[in-house]
Amino acid sequence: MKERIDFARNAEAALRNPFLQSALRTAMVRFRSLRDAVVEEVPEWQVLREYAYATKMHVLANLDRYLTRLEANVAAAGGVVHWVRSGDEAASTIVDLARRHKAQTIVKSKSMTTEEIELNRFLHAAGVQVAETDLGEYLIQLAGERPAHFVVPAVHKSKGSIAALLSEKLGIPRFDDAAQLTRAVRGELRQRFFAADMGVSGVNFAIADTGTIVIVENEGNARLTTTLPRVHVALMGIEKVIPRLADLAVFLTLLPRSATGQRMTGYVSFITGPRRAGEVDGPEEFHLIIMDNGRSSIHADRAMRECLACIRCGACLNSCPVFERTGGHAYGSVYSGPIGAVLTPLYRGLDVGRDLPFASSLCGACEEVCPVKIGLPRLLLELRSRIVRRRGASWMDRLFVRGWVATMMNPTRLRAAGRVVRILHHLALRQRVPLPYPFSEWSKARDLPPPAGPPFRDRWRS
Amino acid sequence: MSAREEILRRLRATGEAEAPLPEIRAPIRITGDPVQLFLERAAAVGADVVRITSGGLAERVVRDLRRRGVQAVAVWEDPVLASVQSALRAEGVEILLPQDQTSTRVTRADAGVTTADYAIAETGTLVLTCSPLRPRSTSLLPPLHVAVLSRDRILPTLEHLFTDLHVLPSALTFITGPSRTADIELTPVQGVHGPVSIQVYVLG
Repeated sequence: MKERIDFARNAEAALRNPFLQSALRTAMVRFRSLRDAVVEEVPEWQVLREYAYATKMHVLANLDRYLTRLEANVAAAGGVVHWVRSGDEAASTIVDLARRHKAQTIVKSKSMTTEEIELNRFLHAAGVQVAETDLGEYLIQLAGERPAHFVVPAVHKSKGSIAALLSEKLGIPRFDDAAQLTRAVRGELRQRFFAADMGVSGVNFAIADTGTIVIVENEGNARLTTTLPRVHVALMGIEKVIPRLADLAVFLTLLPRSATGQRMTGYVSFITGPRRAGEVDGPEEFHLIIMDNGRSSIHADRAMRECLACIRCGACLNSCPVFERTGGHAYGSVYSGPIGAVLTPLYRGLDVGRDLPFASSLCGACEEVCPVKIGLPRLLLELRSRIVRRRGASWMDRLFVRGWVATMMNPTRLRAAGRVVRILHHLALRQRVPLPYPFSEWSKARDLPPPAGPPFRDRWRS
Repeated sequence: MSAREEILRRLRATGEAEAPLPEIRAPIRITGDPVQLFLERAAAVGADVVRITSGGLAERVVRDLRRRGVQAVAVWEDPVLASVQSALRAEGVEILLPQDQTSTRVTRADAGVTTADYAIAETGTLVLTCSPLRPRSTSLLPPLHVAVLSRDRILPTLEHLFTDLHVLPSALTFITGPSRTADIELTPVQGVHGPVSIQVYVLG
């Protein structure tokens, strides 16, 4: 798929969907207020953000060292480490493991990295059944859709449509109650957990010093995925490693508060190797797949490197005025919102993702809420300039900028332009008449602000 | 070249020594009594929390579990739970000991009874480690999780925990309230894949 992601067209579809508009608005407002309340109670929040940023940048500068230390400690705990260059290599490693263990069915806990590589498609093609077990992801899988948000993947689906979907697929009544719908899925998935031969999870943090992977969740499905099946396979991007266990005091203060406005999520699992001698449960084998898939190129790109510090909390999505109106699907990738507008052009190519860095008002809310202090507006601007440098600016942009410079550099012209704009405004723009082509390209998605009254120097004179 | 060599070579090629690793932060004392704060914060996330003397524990657990209609429990092997275990047995409640706690059997228990190695006051979190006598499923599969801990296991913050904790078991778990979701129209629902309720007894 080398086709350009058409953000404007996707966004238009989202804007015409009234349920999506109200669901997004409600969700974003709720997430922001929950987050703000629990962030406020941490007086040293800004210090923690600095710590997290410094830690991540240190790890990135020494990534080879931390990854080999992680590898050694996972092996010391009895785990097996696999290195893979691409998503395809990651998927075929998982398919091979499934074949070797004669796994018929796999249960999966929520993982954006497995979405990134479209693991389910590979497993399906290899004849392995896979069940998503996070409630939202499960609904998305049943419906054959893609997640619309990092944290609440099914935010775009109404309760009514979920009830209809579950009724059709599971043969249950069309419950009107979210709790009853949830219970029905619990019952269905419990059987899948017990039947599964292999569990596949993501990784929120991997601790180099101890060889431990850390998984953050609310539902308990990640615990089941990493406890019941005989084999546990965890997939991580190379950027997920952190140095020390004690660093989690900071990261586990930042992540849940930023993601869901919780002081702590329902569960955090620290997994160090497979089950040990004498233990009655836990997987007999633990595999950790360390995946590059484009990350080492971003790592080499010093201007963009800090986007690898992302901990996937979704706070930048929730704070973004563009995301609040378009939702995640408009970004054409599992990574949406401001961080997605940075990652997608880097992962999939500047040509494919060239619309995305422009899908931002650069208001800066994303950087302000980012728990690891990623300078998202700066990264978006850097990508914009690369895209323009590569493709060249349109004749209209060039003409506009030339005219702008000519006007702004000369007081007489500026005064004249101000007068023209005010007259035009009096004549037409006050009624919000759409601007004529080619200016309509700009004004169809924006309101032209009314010009200010007479400038100070004119008032001074009279 | 293997994938490992290739990835490491690409990362090494751009490696540089600047960007120092920050010092681990010393725990900052929080104001107020951590035990009181834990009781509040655990209740705020939907746990039922009771403070009780160790002498009264067994009787209270039996009463609470009987009220909930519990007939079979999976129990961790721990001196703190010895009195609870024998009191439940005397009541005719079926007891599953750790060595019998395969996941398929635990899933049929009405409740799982564990201790907690630590609790974190600030977040209302229980910290459980696993071992042969402390299976992972006990706090995961039954619809009710019962946890017993003495008050001196309650630490003020996460930073205190990570200053105290050095050796990791195969699985260490943070539990903060019952399992939950808000995936359907953001409606909070308690009890998704893990326990529907948690009952915590703080001793002393």
